Amino acid sequence: MQVQATTTPAGYVKNIWDSVVSTLVGMRITGKYLMQKPITVQYPDERLPIPDRYRGIHYLEQEKCINCLACARACPIDCIEMDAIRHGKELEWVSFTLDYQKCMFCELCVYPCPKDCIHMGTEFAFVAFDRSEFKFDLLSFKGMDRAARVRMKEAEAKKKAKEEAKAKKAAEAEAAAAESAEAPEKQQEEQAEKQDEEPPAEQQPEGDEA
Amino acid sequence: MESGTNAFLEVLRMAFGDLAPGWVLVLGSTLLAVGGALTLIAVNALFATWLERKVSGHIQCRFGPMYVGGWHGWAQSLADGIKLITKEDLVPRGGDRTLFMFAPALLLAAIFGAMVAFPITPQIYFANVDLGVYFILGLSALTTIGVVMAGWASNSKWSLYGAMREAAQVVAYEVPLGISLLVPVMVAGTFNLLDASAEQSGWYGMHWFIFRNPFMIPALVLFFVASLAETKRAPFDLPEAESELVAGFMTEYSGIRWSFFFMEEYAAMLLMSAVAAVFFLGGFESPLTHFANALWGDKLFVTADGVTSLSLAGLPYHLAAGLTLILKALFGVFMMMWLRWTLPRIRIDQVMTMGYKYLTPLSLLCVLGAGIWEAIRS
Repeated sequence: MQVQATTTPAGYVKNIWDSVVSTLVGMRITGKYLMQKPITVQYPDERLPIPDRYRGIHYLEQEKCINCLACARACPIDCIEMDAIRHGKELEWVSFTLDYQKCMFCELCVYPCPKDCIHMGTEFAFVAFDRSEFKFDLLSFKGMDRAARVRMKEAEAKKKAKEEAKAKKAAEAEAAAAESAEAPEKQQEEQAEKQDEEPPAEQQPEGDEA
Repeated sequence: MESGTNAFLEVLRMAFGDLAPGWVLVLGSTLLAVGGALTLIAVNALFATWLERKVSGHIQCRFGPMYVGGWHGWAQSLADGIKLITKEDLVPRGGDRTLFMFAPALLLAAIFGAMVAFPITPQIYFANVDLGVYFILGLSALTTIGVVMAGWASNSKWSLYGAMREAAQVVAYEVPLGISLLVPVMVAGTFNLLDASAEQSGWYGMHWFIFRNPFMIPALVLFFVASLAETKRAPFDLPEAESELVAGFMTEYSGIRWSFFFMEEYAAMLLMSAVAAVFFLGGFESPLTHFANALWGDKLFVTADGVTSLSLAGLPYHLAAGLTLILKALFGVFMMMWLRWTLPRIRIDQVMTMGYKYLTPLSLLCVLGAGIWEAIRS
């Protein structure tokens, strides 16, 4: 709304006209935005898709890694430190840390890896109360992307289910052995056993797959 | 029910007329009206701040509050209110302590007094004031005293600047505000809000004053613009101008006292929009009230042989009338919000120019035009 000093009646009318028109134009634009869908997302609940080549916190495929130090040497700011003890062909990992106070996410550590075991992840949000907490231990898969984390959680759940099923089976066998001594309740027990055995039977093959 | 009595008193008289003396009933009805108006102000402030944040959010392609309370953050302003109550109530050193504490109360009291005089429906009101518009505009202009008081008592240059601007602005815009409202008042031939509303009934909304003559639409626009300045809303929010005056007259306020300013602002917005609704947009008239009236009648209080009695058949009409007025007023509030998030704040000299050189002569022109039109028509 540019109101200019006026000396003529025409200028006066023009000022009024300009003010009204520019206000209406502005209101049309804001009204259009008001009606359209917001472009922001409800961040913690939903996130914008992360590009494939996004460089977030690293994740390390620990089984593949051979402790060759290629990534640590490639790092221009020396933020990767690793240590492992060799027992013949087996590696006993001590530490594989990456200091995210220093790391500039240049991805130079990824290329020299002969086993293709260190990757840039998709995780970008990390806060801490203490500086030392930014020294991430990659051995426990801290930096891996969400899909990998889901996969690992599933695997863990399956493993747990398998163990639980085993424990249950053992407990049932024990209970059956104890109860077989008492004749009158035998029928009921057998039914109960059958019901109890069903879930482990389902879980067993899944556990094997994992 | 006679004109000038109040509905709260009538209901109390019907219920407890035999038990309690007259002054107790009067006191009771006053307390009811006061409680009602206070509740309205508080609830309106809660709802309007939420609406403002949602409107501003969506205009800027964001969501606005989304979490508190579950559904679209409806309880956000409730949470804010709790926060404000628990905050420290600071009085600046060197400020005038008494005036500083009193200013928000005066501000709220003024708008509150204006609200009490506003009819809720054609028969439910606390006071049917014959000079209703005078009363309401006069009391709402009194809020300026509160603002100036707050600015002075804060002992801060910015606050004082804000207060000065408010005073200048209100002096400039009270004139077009009153004159533009004179157009429908002249056509209706009354200052009474109920009579003005009743004048617009019939013809399925075509009797609304806005359609009555060609000078009504500019008059409504002028009234709307002047009421923006009157309620310190953008683009005329010079008194608080956060980018230059650091919230102006309320710089030094904190906690619940600070929130009083916003309660006043939103109450004034609702009040101004309601006045515009009554005098331009048909008041209580809408299809809803029309059909409720046709089906069940519009009398909640029936006076026969000097005895007033309650007739529940009129209840749908009065619910519809109250809803109609609230919706029309909220539409005005929404327009104010829309405009706020559209236009940038204008300079103080531009504000003065607009008030004195444009709105005042134009509103006078509207009065003249509408008068001539009505004279020829009749």
